[in-house]
Amino acid sequence: MDLLTRVYRSFEIFWLSARLWLLYKPEELARRWLRLPEASEARINGKHARAADWILACAFRLRGVIIKMCQAVATRSDMFPPEFVDKLKACHDAIPPKPWDLVKTTVERELGKPIDAVFTEFEHTPIASASLAQVHAAKLVDGREVAVKVQYPDIEQIVRTDLANMRRACIVYEWFDKEPLELLPLLTELTTHLGYELDFEREADSAERVRELFSDNEHVVVPAVHREWSTKRLLVMEKVEGMKITDVDAIKACGIDPEDVLQDLMDSYVRMILAAGFFQADPHPGNLMVTPERKLILLDFGLSKELPEGYGLGLFELMFSLMTLNEAAMIRAFQELGFETKTGDTDTFLILSRRMLARSDTGTFEGEFTEEMTDELFDAIRENPVVRVPSDFVLVGRVFSFLSGIAHTLGGRANVLAAMGAGPPG
Amino acid sequence: MAQPVAEPDRLVYTPEEILDSGSYEEPLIAGGVRCHGGFDAEGQYRSPRTIHRAPAILAWKAQLAREGHDLIEIDRALMPPQYPSVEQGALLLRNGVRDPIARSLTIISIVEGFGAIIREVAVPDLGEVVVEPTEGTALAHLRGGLFEAHARDESGYREEGGHKQMWEAARDLALESPKIPGDVLMRMMGRSGQRKKAKRPYPQLDEKLERMLQMMAQVLVVEVFAEGTFAWGVELLSNPEVSAEPEAAGNMVRYVQADENPHVEYLRTALSEVRARTLRTVDGGTIPGRTVVDGLLHRILHNMIHSRPEEQRSDLRENLAEAMKVASNPKALLEEFDSLDRVWTPPDRTGFEPVTAA
Repeated sequence: MDLLTRVYRSFEIFWLSARLWLLYKPEELARRWLRLPEASEARINGKHARAADWILACAFRLRGVIIKMCQAVATRSDMFPPEFVDKLKACHDAIPPKPWDLVKTTVERELGKPIDAVFTEFEHTPIASASLAQVHAAKLVDGREVAVKVQYPDIEQIVRTDLANMRRACIVYEWFDKEPLELLPLLTELTTHLGYELDFEREADSAERVRELFSDNEHVVVPAVHREWSTKRLLVMEKVEGMKITDVDAIKACGIDPEDVLQDLMDSYVRMILAAGFFQADPHPGNLMVTPERKLILLDFGLSKELPEGYGLGLFELMFSLMTLNEAAMIRAFQELGFETKTGDTDTFLILSRRMLARSDTGTFEGEFTEEMTDELFDAIRENPVVRVPSDFVLVGRVFSFLSGIAHTLGGRANVLAAMGAGPPG
Repeated sequence: MAQPVAEPDRLVYTPEEILDSGSYEEPLIAGGVRCHGGFDAEGQYRSPRTIHRAPAILAWKAQLAREGHDLIEIDRALMPPQYPSVEQGALLLRNGVRDPIARSLTIISIVEGFGAIIREVAVPDLGEVVVEPTEGTALAHLRGGLFEAHARDESGYREEGGHKQMWEAARDLALESPKIPGDVLMRMMGRSGQRKKAKRPYPQLDEKLERMLQMMAQVLVVEVFAEGTFAWGVELLSNPEVSAEPEAAGNMVRYVQADENPHVEYLRTALSEVRARTLRTVDGGTIPGRTVVDGLLHRILHNMIHSRPEEQRSDLRENLAEAMKVASNPKALLEEFDSLDRVWTPPDRTGFEPVTAA
């Protein structure tokens, strides 16, 4: 990446930061000095909406890390106002692809040989493109069909530059704001996740681990990795085809009940997260497909996560206590999972538990309930900033948030307890 | 202090009454967790939600007997032995091999908690699916508090722990809060997690009714077989040689055991009431309740007595040798463990075999 580009990216980030500061702070300071009442909620929400528009526009211009940051914000309803969360969700959609020449150069550099030496066919138009890489269909010289994930050239440098710029901007923001949103921890988390996503060897390891986990489950497919042609920046995988998991009409046309698909999805994620403690943490609809034989295809293991030992059991306890309306067990589970209050007391947990349990008079075990509870938890946490949420939990919450969205689209309800292995009572 | 209210002729109760625990002289606190139930002035344990539920069940049973119908009786000889046995469990613990027992106790606690799923069972309009009246029966009170009481007993409710937390407390008392093996949930979910849709045994019935009866029959069998698990838990965890808190841990399992009694009793009463009635089929015909209930019980018992012993055995043995590595002489320990094996042959008959025409 040349100096001019670096300067341009830095300028864009700082110009955005300055505009955001000017949008909020002068009025706030003026009101304080002039002892005027605080701005109305509607006015503040309007500013949030404008700010989110500016950030989104900047993200689409610069791409790279800022897109990732926006995606992260869009999943943190516990920290950010709904205007940001709703608008920045647009960053989950497809990003314009990079030109073929650039892709070809990258592939040949990674292979260390001409593209024809490995592939007899290589589609110039990608199947999918995202913030860090794009995926092309191809055929190996032995005739096997593959999907090739190609990392954008210079993306590592872009990521480094962007992260440094954003860290500086966050530090400046925290200097000026007495009660700042906690952006730096989010940035640190993002830095870790980006490190994972840029390492395709790690992604190959993760895919193989999950493939092994479901090796004897005929309802789940994880494409095999062709390690001989894969590198840190190039991932060659078995090509699998299916319908998008949210394409309800296509699923029904194959004689498949969407509710069965949803239960398979819930079973798979409950197994990965709670039982194995290792999971594909990016289940957006683009990464999940269904075959006409009702097999669930899991794709993209760039953001896979290993949970600390015993964390799955802790999450199980929290979910279980939520579903069985047991607030005492819920408080213990919050503590075991690493939730913290600034004072170290448990009153805040009690407030959270009661608020969540107040949503339902009787327990119910189906997907929608879990979604409501997850939303309620994050809302309660945002309104009660003394609670610190462990980052592992955030990632799990994000996964269930995605799954809930898919559940809505499929129009069904998944039985979470059944996915946990619940049979008749003892 | 409120005591169970004996009203032998009263057959109709409100849900609030069925769920009423009354008050206790002293609450049950296990491992720092407030659990359900408690103690009277004499220090006797009284189960939760039994003030009206216990006499109600007695009254429904008496009514059934007055009408000349028998009560379902599951032969305890069908109950497969626990694996590992008490002797094998004690042997493991004496030799410092705690993982298999900690895992078993944790799985028992989770399975108990899953009992809350019974509150999700849909109850059909009984007037539409049962020919004879059902007023003043256990059957008529399933949605009116019986399922909910059962669910609360198993998983706890609000600020009170239930059987799940009581088994955890028993484990932690006896084994001094052992480290829970990381594979517990994987064992519970089964490694592959494949679930097959079972064929409906009585497709001529209203589907909701069929599902409810299936669930009740399954739960009744599990509850009856759980008596073996309770006896095992009491004996093993009360053993001062292997338990750090033999009295407290053993008592905790005894309390759970006492709480389970109303579950067995309301389920066998309600199923016996179905057995004494006629069910409507979706095509406008009828089928004797006895045919359906006995058919379901036979299938469930037959499957469980043949599959459960092997499941328990393979589950424990999956990494028994690995767990035994902490012992001073693992090989000798495994041999001694195996020498304590008891051969159990499932009985030929379940007692609910379909009647064939002569």
